[in-house]
Amino acid sequence: MELDTLLKNSSPILLDGGMGTMLQAKGLKLGEYPELAALEHPDWVLEIHRSYVEAGSQILCANTFGANREKLRRTGKTVEEVIPASITLAKEASAGRALVALDMGPIGQLLEPTGSLDFETAVDIFAQEVRAAAKAGADLVMIETMTDLQECRAALLAVKENSDLPVMVSLTYEERGRTFLGHSPAAAALTLEGMGADVIGVNCSLGPKEMPPLVEELRRWTTLPISIKPNAGLPDPGGAGYDITPEEFAAAMAELTDLGVKLYGGCCGTTPEYIALLKKALEGRTILEQPRHVPAAVCSPNTVVAIDRVRVIGERINPTGKKLMKEALRRGDVDFMLGQGLEQMEAGADILDVNVGLPEIDEGEMMVRVVKALQGVTDAPLQLDSTRPQVLEKALRVYCGKAIVNSVNGDQETMEAIFPLVKKYGAAVVGLTLDKKGIPKTTQARMDIARRILDTALSYGIRREDVYIDCLTLTVSAEQEGAAQTLEALRRVHSELGLKTVLGVSNISFGLPARPLINQNFLTMAMTCGLDLPIINPNMGEMMAAVRSYHLLMNIDKEAREFIAAYGGATISTSITAGAGQQAAAPGAGERSLSQIVEAGLRGEAGECTRKLLETTDPMAIVDDILIPALDKVGADFETGKVFLPQLIQSAGAAQAAFEVIRQTMPAQAEGTEKAPIVLATVKGDIHDIGKNIVKVLLENYGYPVIDLGKDVDPEEVVRAAEKYQAPLVGLSALMTTTLHSMEQTIALLRKANLNCKVVVGGAVLTAEYAKQIGADFYAKDAKQSVDVARQVIG
Amino acid sequence: MAVPVTISHVDAGEVLRYMGCPPEKAGGELRALVEDCAKELLSVVRPRWSWREVALTHEAEGVRLESGLLLPGTDLKSHLAGCRRAVVFCATLGAETDALIRRCEQRDMGRALALDCCASAAVEELCDQIELELQGKFPGCFFPYRYSPGYGDLPLQVQGELLELLDAPRRVGLCATESCLLTPRKSVTAILGVSENKLEPMHRSCLGCPAREGCQYRKAGGHCGT
Repeated sequence: MELDTLLKNSSPILLDGGMGTMLQAKGLKLGEYPELAALEHPDWVLEIHRSYVEAGSQILCANTFGANREKLRRTGKTVEEVIPASITLAKEASAGRALVALDMGPIGQLLEPTGSLDFETAVDIFAQEVRAAAKAGADLVMIETMTDLQECRAALLAVKENSDLPVMVSLTYEERGRTFLGHSPAAAALTLEGMGADVIGVNCSLGPKEMPPLVEELRRWTTLPISIKPNAGLPDPGGAGYDITPEEFAAAMAELTDLGVKLYGGCCGTTPEYIALLKKALEGRTILEQPRHVPAAVCSPNTVVAIDRVRVIGERINPTGKKLMKEALRRGDVDFMLGQGLEQMEAGADILDVNVGLPEIDEGEMMVRVVKALQGVTDAPLQLDSTRPQVLEKALRVYCGKAIVNSVNGDQETMEAIFPLVKKYGAAVVGLTLDKKGIPKTTQARMDIARRILDTALSYGIRREDVYIDCLTLTVSAEQEGAAQTLEALRRVHSELGLKTVLGVSNISFGLPARPLINQNFLTMAMTCGLDLPIINPNMGEMMAAVRSYHLLMNIDKEAREFIAAYGGATISTSITAGAGQQAAAPGAGERSLSQIVEAGLRGEAGECTRKLLETTDPMAIVDDILIPALDKVGADFETGKVFLPQLIQSAGAAQAAFEVIRQTMPAQAEGTEKAPIVLATVKGDIHDIGKNIVKVLLENYGYPVIDLGKDVDPEEVVRAAEKYQAPLVGLSALMTTTLHSMEQTIALLRKANLNCKVVVGGAVLTAEYAKQIGADFYAKDAKQSVDVARQVIG
Repeated sequence: MAVPVTISHVDAGEVLRYMGCPPEKAGGELRALVEDCAKELLSVVRPRWSWREVALTHEAEGVRLESGLLLPGTDLKSHLAGCRRAVVFCATLGAETDALIRRCEQRDMGRALALDCCASAAVEELCDQIELELQGKFPGCFFPYRYSPGYGDLPLQVQGELLELLDAPRRVGLCATESCLLTPRKSVTAILGVSENKLEPMHRSCLGCPAREGCQYRKAGGHCGT
């Protein structure tokens, strides 16, 4: 018997119930490790499994829920001792009457970005469990009680890469219908089906009565069979038990057959009695599987973006033609990309394109850093944009959710390299209608390529809904007949192939005046031809206005709610050049001097005031004569206790806004005059980095380029960065006493590498004395002092 | 099982102190920032907690919980003198709080600092409420103030096992990193002694203050006065 056979049958499948509850009833004491029961109390485990088989369970979960090397560390036992013993017991109990699953629960540490566990480490931890179970003869794997979609992905990849076993994946949700980390059933369903799960489900946390909304959400977003293993009701507020009886449990579960749930079991608080009654309640029922259709959609763990209307892909995270972004990429300044991402989301982007390709940097490494960092600060689904398959694979591995891969084209080799990745990681993919011969002139030839891309994608098992076609925009100043061809191809792909369409819009106007005018009109024309996913700069008001107007006019934005929310009460410029002028005329600006604005920490006014000043004043004069003296004054007031940390930071923020404006207007001049860089890191093991981030803002204010390595940074990485950027100063922070030894190690390693750099340390628990003791050159008691140190070392 | 607890306000004075600004010296704009951040924070927090009563044995090297876990050191031992029972609990504001602060750090560091300090104050508020709730379960008993890993000589290394004892990863989504820091970050584990006999009144003092380690007053050799 195999899982597949059970799934094909029209009857419901019966799983087992709680193991922990049963072990406690047998006498497992508080503080004893339940995972060791197979070694220490094999008779108990055997009896429990047998009683579930007697009750009718068709799939047994071996007692391996927490049998990963991290959780077993304290027990002195290994995965290779615990898992085979546990699987063997379950198989003995089943005696061929039930399948045996490796039960795989969470590792017990949170993954990035909430925790510090690295994704690949998590994959490796699960892989060890899978290999041990496959060898011991497990029939399938049940990944369950997960609260983090990323951890589910790690576990699922580990199963796929280390065995041929079928796999069920189940998350645990709170009553609000989200996991503890805020992840939704919809995102879990889209992501995990894409990655090849065989069953998706819900277990633990809630009782059977709380299941229907979760099951309904899953049904909308997956075609896979659904499993449920609720607790024996909700926890009883008065004690440690649960609030419903075995009879109530069975009755409530049986109602779920109407929703098409295929697999039924129990979690905490359920016993063989619950399963036996459940079996009775389900007897004679057949599961009617109505065909489900899952619409085209992409997601992050929190947000599903269905492609059921125009969805804007923000194009700004791309270094092409952007000097500041190139500089940021060379320095490894991920924050710059995050700023671009957040700005586009605020402007109305639904999805962010991420391209970090620069010949002189390690694109794969940078892509991974940017993807992880973006997912730490925004819920936007991402479009991973690279020409290199190995970069795409790295990005797809760490991306949590269902991403878009940008792109393949009609060239066979490219498709062979990219489609397997799209399939393995469950992404959607953009197909460009070009091939080795270039971009075809005719609509028909583009259609032919689109068809070829679709057919090849289908042959790899990629869903039709996940293939998005880009009919390619040609610059109208170079090939004026091209725009009409593009629009016609778009219309035909949309209507004849029924595929979703993507189009980079901005190129259309290259080399012409009044570009926003052309872009806006071309976008509108493309949307009426069926464009679903325009790749645009959402910060351009005209472009978002076109999208919002389209939704209004096509009756997609019901009752004009979104349109009014965006524009109600605002004066909309109908002239494409009026934007800056209106802003300059805004009331309030210009009433205060820039130094007053910085001293008062008025971030909102600083940029505009600087912009006005630049009309009459040399940028360097603004920096040297206004900004730096203002910052110095605030710094001096901070030292003498006239102002406090919040004001210092607010002034720094205002100055930062001013610097941003200056940098935009004079990037070329900055070359050559730039100061030596400073490497900053929060040491290994420490995840509290707000102090370091405050220091970064201040240092940047004073014109020091900062190489920010982030938090929880390996000593080796600090040394590498100090060497690579020839930084004369390295700043290290630690907040907890427990991580001071990593600081000491990092300093020792820097010294060993014989680099010509000074080290400044700071952080809540440090003292000048301790700093000296661990070999630092300087101790900065606050952010202001780190600027003083930088001035002393670098000038 | 833990009854739901909601946080409806945070103490602005506390927040300002955590931010390194004596409340009496805070101007209107700073206060407005704190108020605004507190409001934003309270709209995203998802307070959750879990607890368990344990019997205690006082041993030479520390206090042993009924589960077998030893909480080593002399400070907790003297703190729990006279308590034969205790409640171990954990509390968290949830992962959304961390995400909010992370996001804000990219846009406005001053606001991020204020949010971070609001969150620290909110966790304390949460623990105060939990403590009251728990005290209600032991009528007629007396309680020394709650005590957490990292206070005195009680090492952070017990964090993982305390969480395990509370089934915290599964019940409330709270875990510890390899270096024993709690994640989500705005979280607490604590032990609340339960005594049948009256206890000497104790000042909570700096020992139990979440700003203790980074406190500018302490660094300058002083005290914030609360």
